[in-house]
Amino acid sequence: MKTSFKTPLIALLLIISSAFVAKAQDTRIQMGNLDHLAAKASETVDVNVDERLMKLAARLFNDKDEDERQIKKLIEGLKGIYVKSFEFETEGQYLAADLEPIRAQLRGAGWTRLVNVVSKKEGNVEVYLQFAGEMVNGLAVLHTDDKELTVVNIVGPVNLDKLAQLEGQMGIPDLGIESPKSKKKTNEQ
Amino acid sequence: MNDDYLWDKTGEPDPQVQELEEILGTLRYQPKPLQIPDELQVPQRRKYFPWLAIAAGVLLAILAGGIWLSTRSRSDAPPQQVKVTPPEPIKEVTPSPTVQKTPELRPNAQEMVAVHKHRPKSSTPVLSKHEREEALMAKEQVMLALRVTTEKLSLVHKKTQNTYPANQIKNQHRVG
Repeated sequence: MKTSFKTPLIALLLIISSAFVAKAQDTRIQMGNLDHLAAKASETVDVNVDERLMKLAARLFNDKDEDERQIKKLIEGLKGIYVKSFEFETEGQYLAADLEPIRAQLRGAGWTRLVNVVSKKEGNVEVYLQFAGEMVNGLAVLHTDDKELTVVNIVGPVNLDKLAQLEGQMGIPDLGIESPKSKKKTNEQ
Repeated sequence: MNDDYLWDKTGEPDPQVQELEEILGTLRYQPKPLQIPDELQVPQRRKYFPWLAIAAGVLLAILAGGIWLSTRSRSDAPPQQVKVTPPEPIKEVTPSPTVQKTPELRPNAQEMVAVHKHRPKSSTPVLSKHEREEALMAKEQVMLALRVTTEKLSLVHKKTQNTYPANQIKNQHRVG
């Protein structure tokens, strides 16, 4: 009789383990450990838009408006956008240890550090990407300055070309990014 | 010697035949229930199958449910594909001979056509007041997040553009 229970038990364990594997492949970064910095910060930006809210928001973008249509296209496949940004009036309000849990997540789970900019004036900016095959499946940006700490996490297939196309639209700053295709076109002309 | 005994056990039996009969008689068929030896028993193999079937059934149900939910959430627009052809029903409704205001009926028909044209636009599930407020908040948050993201990427872009040309010049010097 004992053996008769083994098969369903194994099947159940397989289902549970597959759910855990799927969870592990999620590109969401847990940033809850930064919440205590809000009390010290002079300005705080906290954005938590999950997949459901993303779909709701996408409905409000007007397809007739070129700018809004582009943003809608960009966010359509996304599973979430999470931002935590703190600006402080004085230096040394946060420690490197505060960032360690986030760095630990970015060290694993298929994340690749694409860019690391070190600047004495404007702080350090690190850009991380997570790939699923050739597709970008997640983006993380970490900006650390003496008086500022910002963590951005976009979950889902991020289209960097489309993100670059948002330059200068609806308050989004001009990146000056040229996609390889547009470069080719300009060269041909 | 009479061979009848060999055929139908009549007549005198031959002593040798009788002797053989006694020896072989011990091996004759004796009706008793079938007893399969323990070594040959297939232990509980059949008990696996119902459990396997249940597990497979549960798995299939979960998979089917997941697929159904995902397809249900994706399909927002299509329900209005079944459109009633607009002008025909109006012509059928208006044949009463007593009403002779034909010039007034034509504009009505046009209005009805316009209503049908508007339907597909309103077919997208209407947001409730609460949902709309939530969606507006989410939209603002998305815009804010995109603004912050692109600001940071812009900073990276500036810094990387400032560094690369200098390196190129250095390299040119080295080569030249």
